Amino acid sequence: MSTVELRGLRRTFGNVVALDHLDLDIRSGEFVSMLGPSGCGKTTALRIVAGFEWPDSGEVIVDGQDVLGQPANKRNMGMVFQAYSLFPNMTAQQNVEFGLRVRKQGHETRAKRARELLELVGLASAMARYPRQLSGGQQQRVALARSLAIEPKVLLLDEPLSALDAKVRVQLREEVRRIQLELGITTLYVTHDQEEALSISDRVAVMSAGRVEQLGTPAQIYSGPRTAFVANFVGTMNKLEGVVVSGEDRVVRCGPVTLIVPDPTFKHAAGDTVELFIRPEDVRLDLLSNGASPSPGFFNGRVTSLTFLGPVTRVGLLTDLGPLLADVSSAVALNLAADAPVAIALDASSLRSLASSDSSPSVPPA
Amino acid sequence: MAFAPLAEIGEAGLQPDVLTGAAPPKRTRTRRWAFLGFLPFLAFITIFLLIPTGDLIVGAFRTTTGSFTFSNIADIFHAPYPSAFEFSIELSAVSALWGGILGFVVANGVLHHGVPRWIRPAYLSFSGMAANFAGIPLAFAFTATLGNLGVVTILLKHLGLNIYPSFSLQGLLGASLVYLFFQFPLMILLMIPVIEGLRKEWREAAANLGAGSFGFWRYVGIPVITPSLLGLMLLLFGNAFSAYATAYALGISNLVTIQIGQFINGNNVFNPQDAYALAFGMIVIIIITIVLYTLLQRRTSRWLK
Amino acid sequence: MAQVAPSSAPPRSHRLRRARSRVPIWHVLWLVLAAIFFLAPIYSLVQFSLEGTLPGQGPFHWYQTVFDDPVFRSTFWLSIQISLETVAVSLVLMVPTVFWIHLRLPRLRPVMDLITILPFVVPPIVLIVGLTHFLHNFPWLVVRPEVLAFIYVVFALPFIYRALDAGLRAIDLKTLVEAAESLGSSIPRTLLQVILPNLRAAIIGGSLLTVAIAMGEFTVASLLGFFTFPVYTYEIATSTAYEGVALSFISFVLIWAAMLALYLIGRGGRGAAGVAITE
Repeated sequence: MSTVELRGLRRTFGNVVALDHLDLDIRSGEFVSMLGPSGCGKTTALRIVAGFEWPDSGEVIVDGQDVLGQPANKRNMGMVFQAYSLFPNMTAQQNVEFGLRVRKQGHETRAKRARELLELVGLASAMARYPRQLSGGQQQRVALARSLAIEPKVLLLDEPLSALDAKVRVQLREEVRRIQLELGITTLYVTHDQEEALSISDRVAVMSAGRVEQLGTPAQIYSGPRTAFVANFVGTMNKLEGVVVSGEDRVVRCGPVTLIVPDPTFKHAAGDTVELFIRPEDVRLDLLSNGASPSPGFFNGRVTSLTFLGPVTRVGLLTDLGPLLADVSSAVALNLAADAPVAIALDASSLRSLASSDSSPSVPPA
Repeated sequence: MAFAPLAEIGEAGLQPDVLTGAAPPKRTRTRRWAFLGFLPFLAFITIFLLIPTGDLIVGAFRTTTGSFTFSNIADIFHAPYPSAFEFSIELSAVSALWGGILGFVVANGVLHHGVPRWIRPAYLSFSGMAANFAGIPLAFAFTATLGNLGVVTILLKHLGLNIYPSFSLQGLLGASLVYLFFQFPLMILLMIPVIEGLRKEWREAAANLGAGSFGFWRYVGIPVITPSLLGLMLLLFGNAFSAYATAYALGISNLVTIQIGQFINGNNVFNPQDAYALAFGMIVIIIITIVLYTLLQRRTSRWLK
Repeated sequence: MAQVAPSSAPPRSHRLRRARSRVPIWHVLWLVLAAIFFLAPIYSLVQFSLEGTLPGQGPFHWYQTVFDDPVFRSTFWLSIQISLETVAVSLVLMVPTVFWIHLRLPRLRPVMDLITILPFVVPPIVLIVGLTHFLHNFPWLVVRPEVLAFIYVVFALPFIYRALDAGLRAIDLKTLVEAAESLGSSIPRTLLQVILPNLRAAIIGGSLLTVAIAMGEFTVASLLGFFTFPVYTYEIATSTAYEGVALSFISFVLIWAAMLALYLIGRGGRGAAGVAITE
């Protein structure tokens, strides 16, 4: 299977910088997602790899060769578009056979391969149907089968599920991943849905403003965000402002509470103002009986809102440290009501300090 | 900070009717009153379109004394009318076919992504102008171009090519060229939305799967567009078939429309009821054209959805 | 991973992008041929209209002659009047009708679609056959040129309808009307003060097309014996050499100006600029 490397890709549209020195490497058989908000350049990067756009500078290297000199129809990459890409005048089978037909394969070979692939995506029964007779999810499966029929070196997917219903999306993303693992094909996937990216990728490249903010496994991205952007884009983060008491001991005072930052690379001098981040699931709550004071390690707060999210309830709090969000199990949340006084503690090991933006893209040790 | 109540999951959705207690609207009575608003238009159409049309259809089957007859219709099949129908159909078909093909080709050129920006507005506005230019001025413009002393005629003479006397602006070739002047820009205008309806994703998917530009057109582009292309050519046919002023100014007489005109002018001494029959014949031909066009359009809209 | 040597030539990608944007010869060829075909007759008109002048007369002599001709002015003015009447009747008839259909009678949409195809099925030359018989019953009507305006409304119908229909579809009619009603407005007032301003582009577009149709209509005008501008043009062009050509060129300029205005308006607002299939 192939390796893909994007080196220093740069692309501007007039005054807008779509890609700002993008570097990314995808290993053989790996599933990498480019995750980011709209406008971050992820689709532009993908289309450059596919051959539908060209960068102002930079290289795209597949298996050691720069492919930018090749036109799109010679690159042998499979691409699944967001929607509407099936040829309307052909049945599902004919669509899947199309790439083989262009490569001048015989009638029987094509039919056999088309059947194989449609079975792989679970649509063998729909072979003779036209795109307009298929649901959105079914169309995307056919599109996937069609792109795989040509045995591409690389599979490219441009937000293939965003046009589909939520339930279909979850189902289909599992299937895409299953098929990808089965075939071992190197895959580059673009999405703005973090749940999607985190659940099916080997590695995720979080992008913003044309560059990769962080590249890592889903776990690394989620629990070890390196910049404020990544921390905020992936999951929710509480932000705390504080003043450094001791740089060596990494002690920070936020309001009436003293915290110790676990990150050994925390380097600030006493007196510096810093921002600390912690996720809502790492904020603990304890109901306070009337008039009671919080136990040591806890501080005061009041419930300001309750948002039911299913298994978890997000509790809005006004605390001695400012406004905070805490995620508690919904069963526990039933005991909470507006204005209820609560005691709050932070799981110190999950406290992190982040730069507001990294000047160098971080590539963690493999 | 405001207190946000726990979301009420599973509660029945708000039903406005239930909340306001409003009675269900009296549909039938409102509809009848509403229909009154349609009457002015209906009246106008009836007076100025439906009645005259009905009149002429009825007249096609009536003698001058008022009795029912097929003889008017029969008259159409006697000289000089069949040749007029023949020429009308020929001229319309030729100008529609060539107008359609050229219109399609040029529309593609106008829409090509690499083309300078001013091309599209220039060609589109000129096409709009040309499509409307039909009539008297057009005929004289072509006389000035390809007539006996026309600019192009003289130019060709200098190059050694004497197109007269075999060429004539009243012949099939000459008249087709004149008709082409309004047919082919019309096709450009009509074709542009159709070509734009070819989704970008199809082209890109085709390229991604290994097909070049030719492969795309051969397997996807042309098959999807063909019903539209044919349908629009039918439209062009109807347009040319109904033409009167241009042909009149060119001095062509062997055309159904001109023949009808001669009846009204009083230049025709044959059975006056024949004008009705001719007009009726025209309506029949045009209806056939439109029915075919509608069928083809339905085919296209299925694909271009 | 093998190193890819940097090239000293301009980055390949630059050259690639310029290559991509080059237009195939095929398209250039046809665009040029089309341009020649369009411009040749116009050029011929211009050339002829500037010829045949005696020494002492300026190159625009024939244009001058045309403009000086009082009949030119009277027929032009007549056609303008008829055009404006056509526009007025069309709008007064169609705007409330299409508005009403969109608002209260959506089921009649297919009926309207059918009706607006009729003027194609019954082209001017055919309609006139039925009309002459019909109008024989009202001889007093046939004498007045206003009758032309009413007939032209029928020809303009499909285009006005299409423009208004598209214009109304672009705005959320129901919501606007309901909002106005909740604020106490009556339906006619809503139509006038709320809806109409939003339809400006569609109305102007449709009106321009109507004017183009009415100013250029020859068939019915000549067969009913009215001396409108196109009829005048025909007379002049068949009886003179140079004035006719000059007049034809003037017609061309007028139509071109109308279409240009139409195009500019179509780009400015959300108006529907249709295509006139006139002859």
